[in-house]
Amino acid sequence: MSVLVADRELDCKGLLCPLPVYQTSQAIGKLGPGQVLKVECTDPGSLEDFPALARQRGLTLLSAEERDGMQVFYLRKEAA
Amino acid sequence: MGVPSLIDRTRVAKPRRKLSADPYRRRYGDVRELIASRQNPTPLVRLNHVVPGGMEAYLKLEWMNPFGSVKDRTARFLLEGMRERGELDGRELVEATSGNTGIALAALAALEGIRLTVTIPSGVPEEKLVLLKMLGATVMPTPDELCPIDNPRDGAIALARAIAESPRNRGRYAMPNQYANPDNVRAHYETTGPEIWEQTDGRVRTFVAGYGTCGTLTGVGRFLKEQNPGIRVVAVEPQTGHRLPGLKNLEEAKAPAILDPSVVDEVIRVDDEPAYAMTRRLFREEGLIVGPSTGAIAHALATLDHEEAGLVVGISPDSGQKYASYFASLVEEGASR
Repeated sequence: MSVLVADRELDCKGLLCPLPVYQTSQAIGKLGPGQVLKVECTDPGSLEDFPALARQRGLTLLSAEERDGMQVFYLRKEAA
Repeated sequence: MGVPSLIDRTRVAKPRRKLSADPYRRRYGDVRELIASRQNPTPLVRLNHVVPGGMEAYLKLEWMNPFGSVKDRTARFLLEGMRERGELDGRELVEATSGNTGIALAALAALEGIRLTVTIPSGVPEEKLVLLKMLGATVMPTPDELCPIDNPRDGAIALARAIAESPRNRGRYAMPNQYANPDNVRAHYETTGPEIWEQTDGRVRTFVAGYGTCGTLTGVGRFLKEQNPGIRVVAVEPQTGHRLPGLKNLEEAKAPAILDPSVVDEVIRVDDEPAYAMTRRLFREEGLIVGPSTGAIAHALATLDHEEAGLVVGISPDSGQKYASYFASLVEEGASR
């Protein structure tokens, strides 16, 4: 298993939907092409929201995991 | 003899007595005293050219409120209610609004030193965003389809609620929630409704307002029907995908919790085009510089059968000053007639 390295991290723990999606959308705007964003959430709804967000915004969802009540996502911004 | 004064005291005017508030001279101690009330109603102005001959119809010019819209009443009642319930103590405010409630809340919050965050649907005119920022509010423009799963066209409301209710923000924010707060209805039940009743000497027979938060419709409708159950209440609804800020189509947006459907006798659907055409007519034929929602309401009002309608009062929620970007296409070369 390859180790994912994030260029930026976003802490959305303790935030309810749609705040994590909103903050992630904003953070993606600041990423360069090919850069990776790591997001940590605690709202279980995010397991559905993030794949949908990735499709909507043309991002690659490299990884989506849940452990100990926390969801961790790695998203890569593709070249436009 | 003391030190000679350089000032000729005989020529120094006595300090003037401090002016006190005097509503008869339109002199006020605080801008908040200008928010409409039964003692200080917003004007009713008759429509003479854009309605069928013989129809007695008036617009209630809510933009004569100090912060420019019908929402001044709402904001005042929302904040008063929250203060009385102790919900404001040390908290910041967060609210979803298409602009006018935000502007009124921002002005009132600024006067009281309360911080305000506004989540706002995308597509709201730049003029409103700048006004909000001028008043010191934090503005979060929100795409309606923010929740990729729910897609409720109410992204701004969902975002405001998330800010208020997220565990990380516990105790930090209070949300007036104009869509569900009965104080929004009370504002119109206690002020707008009685004003209309008194200004028309009880002759009003038809009341027309838009589907928005539904505070005006429910509050005024309820009050007027209590005075005379025969009064007809007409709701104006835009089409889906409309460009009429402040109005809501209840198929694409959730019906606000404060809407009391039992007070609505009839719903008139209005397309953007006739709404904007009527807005331009109101500018040019009535000298009324109104916003697009007034155009929609006046258009609906003008389609009523005038004998059946009797004396009609329509709400003019805000003025046209904030909508330059919306009106630009109406006055482009070739579109000015």
